[in-house]
Amino acid sequence: MPNSNVLIVTDESEFARLLTACWQAERQAPGITVLGSDLWSEHEEIEHELVVVGPLRESKLSEVLKSLAPATAVILCAPAEPRELSQLRSRCPRLVHIPLREDWTQTLLLVAGESLRRSEALRAVRQAEKKASRNEHHATLGRYMIDMKHSVNNALTSMLGNAELLLLEPGQLSQQSLAQIKTIHSMALRINEIMQRFSSLATEMREAENASQAETADAFLSRPHRR
Amino acid sequence: MLYKRDTRLEHTAKLAADVHPYAAENCSETLVVQKKILIVDDSPSQVRLMQGLLETEGYQPVGLNDPRRIEEIITAEGPSVILLDVVMPERNGFQVCRELKSNTKFNAIPVILVTSKDTPSDRYWGEQQGADGYVTKPFTREELLRAVRRFA
Repeated sequence: MPNSNVLIVTDESEFARLLTACWQAERQAPGITVLGSDLWSEHEEIEHELVVVGPLRESKLSEVLKSLAPATAVILCAPAEPRELSQLRSRCPRLVHIPLREDWTQTLLLVAGESLRRSEALRAVRQAEKKASRNEHHATLGRYMIDMKHSVNNALTSMLGNAELLLLEPGQLSQQSLAQIKTIHSMALRINEIMQRFSSLATEMREAENASQAETADAFLSRPHRR
Repeated sequence: MLYKRDTRLEHTAKLAADVHPYAAENCSETLVVQKKILIVDDSPSQVRLMQGLLETEGYQPVGLNDPRRIEEIITAEGPSVILLDVVMPERNGFQVCRELKSNTKFNAIPVILVTSKDTPSDRYWGEQQGADGYVTKPFTREELLRAVRRFA
């Protein structure tokens, strides 16, 4: 999870120090930002996949949670009454409470790991959806081009073939008609060459697209996956 | 629609023997032999064009716009070669080719696909259906005749 960002909001420096140390001992640590409640701002611009809320000064807990977007994943590691917890959960549906008991750091790291993996999976899904939408547009364009190419090739076949048929008996044509038919024939051949170039461009683009997809797949497969 | 033209060209006894081996015995110098080529394409202008090109070489082309009638026309006309378009409504050329090649009554007749589908995968797929030749549109007169001459 090296691309993930975790925000720790606490007024207890020992809590932040211990949690950061435990995370940094892991093989893949996320980016960690620590803030005290005094520095907490509603207009925080850094995007965080997870917010860990530790012990705070009195009345600050509600204020911090109120300012978070409802979809934010939150792990609360501070004492809270069941009634208060229920109210907080209705405001933040993705809130998980981990009491500060023995081994709370291990529990928190496990829950945080799952939460970050979920965020990463959601991000990958969103990217895939965007890409699928783009590909759909390209596919529509491609289908249209194939239809057009078919029609153009059929028209060219008639132009070339009929011109060749007329040129087989040049004696029946006036010099002017002969020259005009020869022009039609050579122009049809030129259009055919242009169409061939379009075809090779399409092949090159397809090869580039395949290479790019293979590269993306390799990059995805080579990423470390923790379990 | 079925297109037939009454063009008659004189060929040698050797050519007659290619069509029916026993015909050579009865062949006189004025024997008229025309190899029939069945052209199946949903576009009437394409059929007329191929007919015109084949007639210049002495073949007897038979045109057909409706691929659903191909078995009936083959039985009636007995063509030496079939020129078959691929993109057609109702029954596409790949499908027609596959069905002809799996029918012992018709599978000896060479089938040449004449199509604007020109990618390697199209050609490969055509081969897989049992096609004996492949001509891409637009073609020149010589390209079409070269493909036909291989078989007739």
